[in-house]
Amino acid sequence: MHGWIGKILRVDLGTGKITTEALKPDLARDYIGARGLGTKYMYDEVDPTVDPLSSANKLIFASGPMTGTFAPSAGRYDVVTKGPLTGTIAASNSGGAWGPELKYAGYDMLILEGRAAKPVYLWIQDDKVEIRDAAHLWGKDVPETTETLNAETAADAKIACIGPAGEKLSYIASIMNDMQRAAGRTGVGAVMGSKNLKAVVVRGTGAVTVADKEAFLAAVAKASTMIKEHPVGGTGLRLYGTNVLVNILNSVGGLPTGNFQDGHFPTADKVGGETLAANQLQRPKGCFSCIISCGRATKVSNPKYKGEGEGPEYETAWGFGPDCRIDDLDAVVKANYYCNEYGLDTISMGGTVACAMELFHRGIITRDDTEGLELDFGNADAMVEAVRLTGLGQGFGKKLALGSYRLASLYGHPELSMTVKKQEMPAYDPRAVQGIGLNYATNNRGGCHVRGYTISPEVLGVPVKVDKDSIDGKAELVALFQNLTAALDSSGSCLFTTFGIGAPEFAELMTALTGFAYTGDSFIEAGERVWNLERLWNLKAGLTAADDTLPPRLLNEPIVTGASKGAVSRLPEMLPLYYGARGWDAQGVPTKEKLSALALA
Amino acid sequence: MKVSYFALLREATKKRSEIWERPAPTVRDLLRDLVAEYGPNFARWILKDGELAGFAIILVNGQDVRGLQGLDTPLTPDSDVFIFPPLAGG
Repeated sequence: MHGWIGKILRVDLGTGKITTEALKPDLARDYIGARGLGTKYMYDEVDPTVDPLSSANKLIFASGPMTGTFAPSAGRYDVVTKGPLTGTIAASNSGGAWGPELKYAGYDMLILEGRAAKPVYLWIQDDKVEIRDAAHLWGKDVPETTETLNAETAADAKIACIGPAGEKLSYIASIMNDMQRAAGRTGVGAVMGSKNLKAVVVRGTGAVTVADKEAFLAAVAKASTMIKEHPVGGTGLRLYGTNVLVNILNSVGGLPTGNFQDGHFPTADKVGGETLAANQLQRPKGCFSCIISCGRATKVSNPKYKGEGEGPEYETAWGFGPDCRIDDLDAVVKANYYCNEYGLDTISMGGTVACAMELFHRGIITRDDTEGLELDFGNADAMVEAVRLTGLGQGFGKKLALGSYRLASLYGHPELSMTVKKQEMPAYDPRAVQGIGLNYATNNRGGCHVRGYTISPEVLGVPVKVDKDSIDGKAELVALFQNLTAALDSSGSCLFTTFGIGAPEFAELMTALTGFAYTGDSFIEAGERVWNLERLWNLKAGLTAADDTLPPRLLNEPIVTGASKGAVSRLPEMLPLYYGARGWDAQGVPTKEKLSALALA
Repeated sequence: MKVSYFALLREATKKRSEIWERPAPTVRDLLRDLVAEYGPNFARWILKDGELAGFAIILVNGQDVRGLQGLDTPLTPDSDVFIFPPLAGG
């Protein structure tokens, strides 16, 4: 095979059995890799009603065919499992250099089964695979774990690990790779913790082969040029990072504020990308083969929040900033550092603190509940301490570690959790931007923006501007973006490449790389296949159309101030149209005809 | 009217915002004068062949002019104008 290595590594942590098996070419072609292929294996091998933190759940690290090639910004992998936060199929996508290294070691995917009797880590050197004792690493944070493992394996080995949050089975725990990159969403870190697996360390000396070298070179050159020359992809992300979005979202009235009580935060500029670039930013940083470099290497010199690391992304700056009514960027960056060091998802962490602040503000919880923390809106010190306690699983942090839905439910107010399918929504208010609300509500892993990023046309105007306040055409737009992203994620490419290239260019790259003839349409159809398979998994897991919704606040309480004042989400009008656009029945179940057309019947 | 600048336009103007007092009946008039004032580093992100460059974002009182009358969108002395170069994120 070309693009794919053609081999899967399977490790049973309970028995210690280590095996390899061939990847079937037709499966690879139809499900592409990473998110798609991982989901196919989960669907075939794991009962969707499985307890996510039981030994019967599996944890899959999966690269895509483009991962590890020199295609632009194509170094990504997915962690696929059943997510404990959502109860859905989970695929958390991460960059860095870990995914390419797995392929250089000779594997497209790593499937982890069972549960180790005591803490262990996996050490993969090409075809030599060892399960090693990790007692000395348990309890250590991500930087210390990474440095220790590099010292005892190989200095240039690539490491994916959990921090204390994953060990303590926090529902919002991430898996961190290359120290600073996160497979963040849906609580995948807790699944790794439940398996007593501290880290996967990889060193590979192999390569990825290409079916048609000349055609691939030409396709790479074309795609790279299109991304670099595109006004959006080529310059702004490198200079300001994703956090440049704070001001535009605030200006159109779509920046969720105070746990989504409002859509405008008067001092948002203080936590935006421009302010970060002028103060904390040390340099832009890119992942493997990246020509965009949106990552932020940052430093805080303010003694109160002193530190060095990476971030924040836009979602993170919003979550610890405006959503908590905080405009102290040093505090926001410090909270981000804690998440990276302890292994927490910054979006869910920010959303959970914001929810706790509303509970506190309304008197539903008091200092007795928070063990002394004055956790009200605007209190930056309390926010940073809340994140630290969550990462370590101490004090009130033990309850925050459950995520906002379970936290708010503990106190009788689940309606104050700004979640979809129990996962915290990101930084775009569905009342101000109608399509993104439909995407949140129907997303296969709950509150998530990256799997149907309609902000691009609805706010940024890329590739064309559509009216953010209208619901016309949004069902089809959301479905198309979800399908394209599913294919893109499965290929190992970064979502941000779509700020320069589209389905025809991905098809060219994939065809030259793999030797299978993809067209733009067949590439998107593969994504639709993946989306429908994820949907089938979720239905079997017990989710229904009733879960395709938004918190009641967004359907009933208008935005109070700013440019979108008075708006509510019109989800109930869009949802039936979306089911229709997908070829699903009125209950959101894929029809036999649709499944047959996608070869899923 | 108040005009606010973001991202690379702050580099070009060396300002976050300013009160613009020259008469500007439309967005087109305002941009013509701003280009004259701030030069090619401003113009390159906003205009192409005299028209609004594809991905520049101009808001008048919070509304994107691409959903209004584009460069012909009318302005008043009370207008609040936000000008963004092409942006991306996620």
